[in-house]
Amino acid sequence: MTGVIDSYIPVAIFFIVALITPPVMMFIVHQLSPRSKAERKLTTYECGSVPIGEARIQFNVEYYLYAIAFVLFDVEVLFLYPWAMVYINHGITAIATVEMFLFIVVVLMGYLYLWKKEALKWVK
Amino acid sequence: MMSIVEFLFNPWVRGILGLALIGIIFFSAVITVWLERKFGADIQSRIGPNRVGGRFGLLQLIADAIKLFTKEDLIPAKADKLLFVMAPIVILGSAFMMIVAIPFGAIVIGDNSYPIAATEFDISVLYLEAVSALSVLGIFMAAYGSNNKYSMLAAFRNIARMIGYEVPLGISIIGIAVMVQSLNIVEIAQAQSPLWFIFVQPIGFAVFFISILADMGRLPFDQNEAEEELVAGWGTEYTGMRWGLGLFAEYIHMILGSCLMVLLYFGGWNLPKFITDIYVIGMFAPIYWFIAKVVVVVMTIIMIRWALPRFRIDQVVDLGWKVLFPLSVLNLLWAVALGLFFGA
Repeated sequence: MTGVIDSYIPVAIFFIVALITPPVMMFIVHQLSPRSKAERKLTTYECGSVPIGEARIQFNVEYYLYAIAFVLFDVEVLFLYPWAMVYINHGITAIATVEMFLFIVVVLMGYLYLWKKEALKWVK
Repeated sequence: MMSIVEFLFNPWVRGILGLALIGIIFFSAVITVWLERKFGADIQSRIGPNRVGGRFGLLQLIADAIKLFTKEDLIPAKADKLLFVMAPIVILGSAFMMIVAIPFGAIVIGDNSYPIAATEFDISVLYLEAVSALSVLGIFMAAYGSNNKYSMLAAFRNIARMIGYEVPLGISIIGIAVMVQSLNIVEIAQAQSPLWFIFVQPIGFAVFFISILADMGRLPFDQNEAEEELVAGWGTEYTGMRWGLGLFAEYIHMILGSCLMVLLYFGGWNLPKFITDIYVIGMFAPIYWFIAKVVVVVMTIIMIRWALPRFRIDQVVDLGWKVLFPLSVLNLLWAVALGLFFGA
């Protein structure tokens, strides 16, 4: 009934609305809300005391390792999506299934390796 | 008759009419806020909102809205202004972009069913997963922008949690895609006409349910807010409506996540033919059926919030990687076996 690109026109419309709505609401708020000036109230909240140092700290490098593990597995998930669409009724069922099993076995071996190396642990 | 249908299915008309869905979902998010307060109060033997608008505090919503609109908007001096202002837009945008692809029931006329969605396309499930994950980015922007230690802690925890639960969520959705041979959410809903997928893939449902709870940031997985430890998590520096936008985005996420759960596992809007054949009532019955299921799921999620304590972050991460991931792979193998048995 409609083309592929046509079905994304509503997505574009919603995207524009999503961009516009918060500024419009904030504009209304600025018209209604009171304003007052004071230096103190613009300080960062830290349980009432004067903030010590910056919040933008250097984080532990293990956190980075953990994120890389996520990227690996998420890409693996993405590879499975096209496979899930075609493995039946396209004449390649046997080979596609075997290949997918090999793929999952390899991924699971990587997963076990990560587990063994304690890369999935939050605090060492 | 045909021309009306064709007119309504024009993508421009559909997109603009679909904007009404944003309003409806926004309104139901407001109602859910009230429902959560009242229902939570009931569970804990409290009274809950009862001052504004009669015994049930029905006008509490309006009072809250007025309060949010009239609060002063503060941006801390040390904040990164651009990130601070953009963050609620990204969080709310992620919720709005989800609305576009979700069908909220369907109107059934004879053998044709017309889903009530702003659009439908081939990869809508993948699209929904991608767009809903964008809210993490918004939460990190909010935390980094507000330059607050509590916010940063919340954002780090939030990202660690999302990282752990995106993968099981994705794999459990593949389990469904394997059965239906489609990523179109309308086709997935219609494929469950006799049998709901929760009965076919109970493990997959368990994984999906826990992962989507974590995805929505609902208790026991609300480490991004964790009022008792992190003040208000990512929203510590936010005031008034800017915080309110984030709050509504969270509730919209919860409603849309429940819709997704109903569409993927609880049979969507499908009703037996003898019901949809009833004149006029049958036409709209699928919508009511769908909404009823969504309400049940939302109530369950609210009940879970008031019944379970919050997990520690290391427990959350362990549960995601060491329990849900293997279970989701197991479910995938089960789905493939079923697919080969029935499909080939």
